[in-house]
Amino acid sequence: MLHLLKIDLKKLTSYRTFWVVCGLYFVTLAFTTASGMEFLKWLANKSSEFGASVNINRIPLYHFPDVWQNLTFISGFFKLVLAIMVVISVTNEYTYRTVRQNIIDGLSRWEFLQSKILTNVLLSFMSVAMVFIIGFVTGLIYSPSTSIQYAIQDLEFFPAYLLEVFAFLSYALMIGFLVQRSGLTIIILMLSHMIEAIIKVNLKGWAIELKPIFPMESISNLVPMPFARYAFQEIQDYVSLNSVAIALVWVFLFNYLSYLKLKRSDI
Amino acid sequence: METVLSIKGLTKNFGRLCAVNKLNLEVKRGQVFGMLGPNGSGKTTTLGMLMGVTNPTSGEFSWFGETPTHHLRKKIGAVLEHPIFYPYLSGQKNLELNALVKQCDARNIPNVLDLVELTDRRNDKYKTYSLGMKQRLAIASALLNDPTVLILDEPTNGLDPMGIAEIRELIKKIAANGKTIILASHLLDEVQKVCTHFAVLKRGNLIHTGPVNEVGQGEERVEVNAEVENLNEVLRGFSGTATVQRENGFYEVTLRENFHGKDLNRFLFDQGITASHLVTRKKSLEKHFLEILADGK
Repeated sequence: MLHLLKIDLKKLTSYRTFWVVCGLYFVTLAFTTASGMEFLKWLANKSSEFGASVNINRIPLYHFPDVWQNLTFISGFFKLVLAIMVVISVTNEYTYRTVRQNIIDGLSRWEFLQSKILTNVLLSFMSVAMVFIIGFVTGLIYSPSTSIQYAIQDLEFFPAYLLEVFAFLSYALMIGFLVQRSGLTIIILMLSHMIEAIIKVNLKGWAIELKPIFPMESISNLVPMPFARYAFQEIQDYVSLNSVAIALVWVFLFNYLSYLKLKRSDI
Repeated sequence: METVLSIKGLTKNFGRLCAVNKLNLEVKRGQVFGMLGPNGSGKTTTLGMLMGVTNPTSGEFSWFGETPTHHLRKKIGAVLEHPIFYPYLSGQKNLELNALVKQCDARNIPNVLDLVELTDRRNDKYKTYSLGMKQRLAIASALLNDPTVLILDEPTNGLDPMGIAEIRELIKKIAANGKTIILASHLLDEVQKVCTHFAVLKRGNLIHTGPVNEVGQGEERVEVNAEVENLNEVLRGFSGTATVQRENGFYEVTLRENFHGKDLNRFLFDQGITASHLVTRKKSLEKHFLEILADGK
């Protein structure tokens, strides 16, 4: 297993695009998640120009345990960047025909896929670690109470966020294998949410019940949007096991379809 | 002799096109086996199936008497069609990656780089290599795990005469170490120079297989010239002559069976004629190949 991960990392770590894209991903992720208070200040400034006053200290954006759901939700938007990297990594293998040579050299098709999946796992875990560190540090800075009791509340959002990133990367991997061309794959990837939204809007009758099992929907449902709570609205501040189950099924399907495609085609 | 590769009824259809049709073939240990055929005759498709990248429509094959798995492929060094590497990696890094894939010792890398004379350029990116260097890197990668079988598909494609000679020497050097080599090519000269056995494919059908040295057997041709005016008639008068043709300023005599160049020489000498030019030509693989292809129609 580790040996397969090593193979894929060897391909990526000498690839400049990989460092640029991953660098952009982690830097923007870090800056965005860490600059919430700056954003609130800017917001307060703007609204004071219109005569409204907002007391930003009343908004516990980075207070334990709110910080966990807030940050994992915001971080979810950035997974697209990581997914584009995954697409490039797969479609490169087809453009350079190296997938063919890898198999000639003695990887099985399943091992080849495994090496890609393992990289997805690694990237997902790194995202989680990054968000956790930022959440932890900002939490320590801004929380009025830094007692462990609050800090360890709601940590369930991290496994949910991990699943969210991994599921989306699995999806990217699958369309990479199916389409094999980087440009087209990236466009499909970026339009996926929109295409799904169009389908969902046009659902009628009993089919409306199917909405939660749509792939993009189920992936976004893992960490629900938290900010409405600052406008005194009721939100879902827990991870629903239902969404986890649906997302897990999709993860399995995405990777299984990649496997079928790879197994059946002449490379 | 131990059978390295055995193919039984291997077939591949691409839609309605039959690329390889019920191919049966055996390759024994130590052979340098040439696969001949015009472009599109199914050579690469066959090799692709043997190396697990093309799924056969039907039929089977076995390596070393075992059903093929990806573990067996690690024991085979193969370059199909053209060299394939990661363009952004250096030659050295590409080979390191290959060593990881083949799960073999990376300490062999300097040796194979030395063998193909790429040591000086090993840290340059693959995309900066010339075609000949790419071909040689591919051979280096195929040799990396000291394979018992080497598969080369058109290894001299696109090379200059010097490059072709280099690769040919390399193949001979490797063959001298007792490795089994399967060489696909449409360059007949190349096959004749390095191969011990050969097979001819045409539109996916196997139309001939046998040892290369049998090709030269059969009728002999002798090129003759002498400073005599009626040489043509004299040559026709020889009992071993089948035909005489004038070609390139020489008379080309095709001899009947069991007659050889020395018989013709003695005959001329007995007639009081001294030949100024007398060369025995064995039938070239090219002629043989064209004949086989013509017969196969």
